[in-house]
Amino acid sequence: MAFRYDEQMQPPEPRRVSDVAITTHEHVYEVDPRLMERWVLQQEFPNWDSLRIMNARGDHLAWMHAHFASSVVTGSELLAEVDAEDAGSPDAVWDAATTSLSPD
Amino acid sequence: MTLLIEDLDTVVRALRTVLSDEQILTGRADRYNRARVPAPFPVHRWAERLPDVVVLPTSTEQVAAVVTIANDLRVPVVPRDGGTGLTDGAVPLRGGILIDVKRMNEIHELDLVNRTVTVGTGISMLKLNEHLAAYGLFYPDNPASYPCSLVGGRIGTSGWSLIGARYGHTRDLVLSFDHVLPTGEVMHVGDGIGRKVSKSSSGYQLKHLFMGHQGTLGIATRATLKLFPKPEAELSPFWSFDNYDDAYACTGALARAGVATFAGAVLFDEHKVAYLRRDDEAYIPQPTDVRALVCAVMYGWDDEVRAGGKRLFRIAKEHGARYLGDEISEGDWAARHDRYATPLHGRTKDGQVVPMSWHCEDAAINYSDVPSVTRAWHGIVADLRRRTDVFDDWGMFAYTSGSTGVDYLTEIDVGIWEQQLDDRAWGMWVDAKRNIARVALDHGGSISACHGSCREGEVDLVPEELGRGFEVMLDIKRTLDPHNIMNPGKYHLDRAYENPAYPEDD
Repeated sequence: MAFRYDEQMQPPEPRRVSDVAITTHEHVYEVDPRLMERWVLQQEFPNWDSLRIMNARGDHLAWMHAHFASSVVTGSELLAEVDAEDAGSPDAVWDAATTSLSPD
Repeated sequence: MTLLIEDLDTVVRALRTVLSDEQILTGRADRYNRARVPAPFPVHRWAERLPDVVVLPTSTEQVAAVVTIANDLRVPVVPRDGGTGLTDGAVPLRGGILIDVKRMNEIHELDLVNRTVTVGTGISMLKLNEHLAAYGLFYPDNPASYPCSLVGGRIGTSGWSLIGARYGHTRDLVLSFDHVLPTGEVMHVGDGIGRKVSKSSSGYQLKHLFMGHQGTLGIATRATLKLFPKPEAELSPFWSFDNYDDAYACTGALARAGVATFAGAVLFDEHKVAYLRRDDEAYIPQPTDVRALVCAVMYGWDDEVRAGGKRLFRIAKEHGARYLGDEISEGDWAARHDRYATPLHGRTKDGQVVPMSWHCEDAAINYSDVPSVTRAWHGIVADLRRRTDVFDDWGMFAYTSGSTGVDYLTEIDVGIWEQQLDDRAWGMWVDAKRNIARVALDHGGSISACHGSCREGEVDLVPEELGRGFEVMLDIKRTLDPHNIMNPGKYHLDRAYENPAYPEDD
């Protein structure tokens, strides 16, 4: 079973992404192993389990969206519309409603 | 356990006259599992919080019978719903009978014409909404503990909802309920005597009195709730800022915009962003100039959410916001309940990872005072951390409470290394909690917008906050609970009795 162990237990070569975190699989982040040497030791995860956890999280988030509303409006669409309107009409930004809302 | 064995036998014999054997639990695991709530506490003192016996009633009549027995035998009673509260309302401080309402989870009536549902208070909002979705309906009480908290606990704590700016909070959503008083009498409480009335001017407004009492005035057993159409669309943009002040200004402007579908805004301060950078996959890779965040949430019909959403995007843009993208915006909002479901860890001062439990202290603060309170609270937690690695500052959120932006549920999240929480560290934490509450009062706020304020530390300031009102609380407690059996030891209500352990001798 050794060849399978290697295959399953060797994640992609870690890449540092910050002072305290590394990344292995795409979208999988881990605490820098140097910070898990005293009180909590880092565990070895089979690749399939890391990916299962990540994918399950996606399922969970999709479930929660559907539970609260039938659809999700994507912000990027609205931002594109706002940017387009602003580009077409600079004064549109400062309509009466939003001007009065500007703080201080 | 606080009852003598022979007294416990008497209690159990009496309970068997109204409950079946399988509804009466005396085993260690049954009792230990109902001794605490998520809020960290000194675990070496776990045994001090044990009930003597747990009961699982299935009806209002059974709850009333149990409470009547407790009142007759002068045995403490502690109501427990989801056990997700953060101020120890469901924690037995004097042993006694713990009434776990989870089996009272039926849906008794769905009134499609008047848009109400009547449920047993042991049902969770998640399960209720799964049922209501088939009818296109929705019960919008949405705490962070949404998947596991129960309707009865929301009544007993007068809960706060993440989308309350759109739909109201628990007090607005619960129309009426059956309530077992400390003497075992059953009362229906609502606006007037209405079961499905949302506004009455008849008599005293008793509904609010029997909400938020943390189980000290009785137990809600069956509730009628207000329903809404299930939203067609959700929008939850997250924006980043390179400084707190701009994020704060943007939050206020969003809340004051008067957009009807606006369900809430959340301000993340610099400490919160720094915390997220350690462990949250969405923020680890963010550029260093992401220092504060704002999230806004909208629910409604697709066309109205889009129209209102554009207005909010324009406001954010004017305040220098940068949109964080669809993936983070949608994913982080959907993950809003996960604090109750994920293991957490913090850091020692030298950066090592340690297992920590999550706690947050909250207060109701006016918008104008949020920055000052934020600074003061971080100072209090920084002082704790200087003295010990048991505590870790996990940053602050400020959530809109209402649709106009007048006040904010302001909370500081603190990681607590519970296994190391000895008596000395616990004493430091209690002092800090008291200081946190002091800051809230000094800024004209209230000690709690959400959790309640009956835990060690902040509870000491409740008489000051309520003034003459606290004496009214004592009068009400003494009148309704003459033998001090209902959740004794909470909210300093023992002061209602000259001899709290034997009030009949007063």
